[in-house]
Amino acid sequence: MSDINHHPRFETLADFAAGRLDEARAVVIATHAALCSRCAGAISDLETIGGAMLSSAPVVDMSTDALERVLAKAGDAANIVIPEKPVSDMPENRPPLAEYLTGPLDDVSWKPVAPGVSQSVLEAEGYRKGVLRLLKIQAGTRMPKHSHKGEELTLILRGAYTDNVGKFQVGDLADLDGDHLHEPEAIGDEPCICLIATSAPLEFKTMIGKIAQPFVGL
Amino acid sequence: MEECLRKVAENGDRRAFAELFSYFAPRVKGFLMRGGATPEQAEDLAQDVMVKVLRKAQLFDSSKASAATWIYTIARNARIDAIRRVAKPDLDENEPMLMPEEAPRADAACELKEQAGRISNALQALPPEQLEVMKLHFYEDEPHSAIAERLNLPLGTVKSRLRLAFEKIRYELEDLNE
Repeated sequence: MSDINHHPRFETLADFAAGRLDEARAVVIATHAALCSRCAGAISDLETIGGAMLSSAPVVDMSTDALERVLAKAGDAANIVIPEKPVSDMPENRPPLAEYLTGPLDDVSWKPVAPGVSQSVLEAEGYRKGVLRLLKIQAGTRMPKHSHKGEELTLILRGAYTDNVGKFQVGDLADLDGDHLHEPEAIGDEPCICLIATSAPLEFKTMIGKIAQPFVGL
Repeated sequence: MEECLRKVAENGDRRAFAELFSYFAPRVKGFLMRGGATPEQAEDLAQDVMVKVLRKAQLFDSSKASAATWIYTIARNARIDAIRRVAKPDLDENEPMLMPEEAPRADAACELKEQAGRISNALQALPPEQLEVMKLHFYEDEPHSAIAERLNLPLGTVKSRLRLAFEKIRYELEDLNE
């Protein structure tokens, strides 16, 4: 994945490193960073600043028995956690995205939302409300012209699309704010599959069903 | 501190862990209280963070991060998880960590030490108003707009101070990352 040309804004990475993103956007950024050494490096620098901030945080005494409690809670060495390695280089098999998918991308339950376009909403509303979903656009399909309400992150998992910003292919991330107007067109031989995180307006879940919501805030 | 973590990872050295605990636990607690947690919540969460430090010590890689940075990411994720548990009480305990895999760098340990020194110098050299928003960015969970309101500043000013502060620190890091 050396050919990544579109990256998150620095501000978005800074929010990620400080734990300020909603769950949906955090998943998209973490998935991009798993593919992009440049952004992984920037996040790691930002986390180093976080480490310095922790070291300079106010010192507040723990309760007198805190250490004993921690040792008791940690129990024995059998609890040690070893991470699982990703089984392949495909973005959908990388943590953390793999945890949100029920199976391979081809077996996801796609729901048609427009000619040539289908989507699948993933469970990631999280500690702060956001919506995470997959969008599949058949090659040659042009999306209607639209802008974005709120901030939206789009990561390409398969295929490619072009819009007035440029060509987006696997690993590329579009970090769009509310003013951006575009009409992306899927190009190439295979459908373009994107992972999209939207900061969700409240009415998303309550007023419109999950199936009928595709073009709201897209 | 990196040496303490190594000893904890290798043979569960209790004395080394106690040293880590006495340095980091009160700072994690203070960090969480700055972010709006009550003293009780911060105490509980800081204990949870230190449990994770003990259990995960074998995952610590001193070529990728300093002890402070590694424990910072654990504290940050613990805070996210705690807020998420309130929003979504039925969540699985073993949820994925929202952490990218980082590529190790050459001569990492030496570089890290230099990096930490430079960052800490750069932080100390920041104008006070830039350091203040940088601290709030990391400590607080509230949106930048709420921070702006509290400081009685336009949102644009908060964002530009933050951007300037990041730029200075990144400038310090730049030739290290080449």
